[in-house]
Amino acid sequence: MLIMKDISKIFQTGDIQTHALRDFNLTVNEGDFISVTGPSGSGKTTFLNIAGLLETYTHGEFLLDGEDVGKLNDNGRSRMRNEKIGFIFQGFNLIPDLNLFDNVDVPLRYRGFNAKQRKLRIEENLERVGLASRMKHLPSQLSGGQQQRVAIARALATSPRFLLADEPTGNLDSEMANGVMSLLEEINQQGTTIVMVTHDALLAERATRTIQVKDGRVSELEILAQQAIA
Amino acid sequence: MFSYYLKIAWISILRHWGLSLLMICAIGLGIGAAMTTVTVNYLMSANPIPHKSEQLYYVQLDSWDVNDPFDEGKNPPDQMTYTDATNLWKAKKAFRQSVNAQTYAVIEPNDPDLLPIIADGRANTADFFAMFDVPFIYGGGWTEQADINKELVVVINKETNDKVFGGKDSVGETLKIDGDMFKVVGVINTWEPKPRFYDVTTGAFNKSADIFVPFSLIAEEKVRRSGNTNCWKPSGDGLAAFLAGECVWTQLWVELKTEQDKQEYLTFLNAYVEEQKQYGRFLRPLDNRLSNVMQWLENQEVVADDAKMMMAMSFMFLVVCLLNTVGLLLAKFLGKAPEIGLRQALGASKTTLFSQYMIESACIGLAGGILGLILAYLGLKGVESLYGDTMQGLATLDVSMTALAIILSLVSTILAGLYPTWRACNIQPAQQLKSQ
Repeated sequence: MLIMKDISKIFQTGDIQTHALRDFNLTVNEGDFISVTGPSGSGKTTFLNIAGLLETYTHGEFLLDGEDVGKLNDNGRSRMRNEKIGFIFQGFNLIPDLNLFDNVDVPLRYRGFNAKQRKLRIEENLERVGLASRMKHLPSQLSGGQQQRVAIARALATSPRFLLADEPTGNLDSEMANGVMSLLEEINQQGTTIVMVTHDALLAERATRTIQVKDGRVSELEILAQQAIA
Repeated sequence: MFSYYLKIAWISILRHWGLSLLMICAIGLGIGAAMTTVTVNYLMSANPIPHKSEQLYYVQLDSWDVNDPFDEGKNPPDQMTYTDATNLWKAKKAFRQSVNAQTYAVIEPNDPDLLPIIADGRANTADFFAMFDVPFIYGGGWTEQADINKELVVVINKETNDKVFGGKDSVGETLKIDGDMFKVVGVINTWEPKPRFYDVTTGAFNKSADIFVPFSLIAEEKVRRSGNTNCWKPSGDGLAAFLAGECVWTQLWVELKTEQDKQEYLTFLNAYVEEQKQYGRFLRPLDNRLSNVMQWLENQEVVADDAKMMMAMSFMFLVVCLLNTVGLLLAKFLGKAPEIGLRQALGASKTTLFSQYMIESACIGLAGGILGLILAYLGLKGVESLYGDTMQGLATLDVSMTALAIILSLVSTILAGLYPTWRACNIQPAQQLKSQ
């Protein structure tokens, strides 16, 4: 489903080059729940941004659902993000001026669903995260855990095949974090592929597969594991 | 998506109401100032008779002093002597021709309960009404025969008809003007060409006349002439001597259908002047001119230079206001960077975001345009009260000016919004999402 071959990402600041990813190789299969761990600055977030088409890569090949991402223009990348990828962020990233209904509505608008389809999907997904009764509330009226649930509802609204989560529990206490993890597990069991970046070893263990990123590369252990899977 | 963009724009404007209000005020002030001066200039320079302004010509002959040219030799006299005007009128070389001059008169209404009225009048020949498409409610103009026979006939305007005859069809009624009984032959509807092109020498924006009488009655002393009179040599005592003298106080308009007609008429004018030279007149070199309506208004500088200057300055002010708006929009849109990054992550392309923020700019522009219209209306009222009668009728916003104000504000704001929107759409989503 996701294949990265020899992906590298170099940030250029003046004369200084920073290699965020080098020869990064990873294959993610349909239905995987992968946790990505690694020390700060190892390249986890860069990997996630490239996987989510939020950032371009310098070299290598990246296939998402069989499509060569490197050949897509801005519109193509936007379409693919909207149709195939759902995002969950550490900081929830809800739009503070919009109520829950309108927040979940955002990706559906860009997808071009009609009003009836949008309403159905918004209600269904807010119901799924247990917040259907609060759809007219503003994000500021919810707790952190509830806000993250809204973000998950928004990510799921377009029925993506691929969910990218960047420290989804990073801003939550352990009880709320546990609730969010349970929800992600449930979503994965229903068929959505999840890639989650986390610092929390306990949460990482709950994924079906764990990879470690060090110095912009997938670590040796993971390479061996991938070879074993192959 | 358009309605969605409008909804998002509305929410954003309300959320950042302070910034939005500042932008609306900046655009409103700029548009208000620009539209006030544009409207005055537009109405000053409007074509008062667009369908035939190219066929109506004002005639000028240089009959002035050989040693002291009129207007330092740049232009022939702006009016004509009685002798030349009547000679050219009698020659009938144009399709239509009208001599006219300003008069004034006292009307004594038939109803003894009504007080006498001092009326602004115009003494003109019969073709005047047909040449200038004067609209009649009742009756019509007089005939050429009435001019020749010096008949006591009068055409009155609607206002005078309302005052003296209670608005009824007064054709055939008599009206006492300066002690003589005149027969009403026509009543004209409200007719206020702006500028009052047919006589700019007595004020391009003055009211049109209340009564119109045959020009030939001036020589009969049945009506009193007024208006500007310029003489380059003494004319002697008495009206007859004055009329025969070298004083200019009449205006001659001719209607010529084609360019060939114009050339032929000019040839005729030159021949006329050559002939007059034999009588010891027209000592200056030939300088006879035919100016169509717009050329004549331009020649007479109906749009004052200071009005043009004011307009240029008001547009500079609009540019300053727009530069402020650029800054404010930039601050607003860049403040939305996290939201823009998020929307990109959720599937918005740069084109989509560009449309969304341009619509938000346009909404602000529209609100600024409406405020600008209100300010322009107030500005025009101010101009009117400052300049009084001179600006009467010039300080009004018509449909085209209203549309222009809205279009100008929309276009200006969209232009002002281009750079901030472009900057906003080029935000790197990854950086914004991480920094939240």
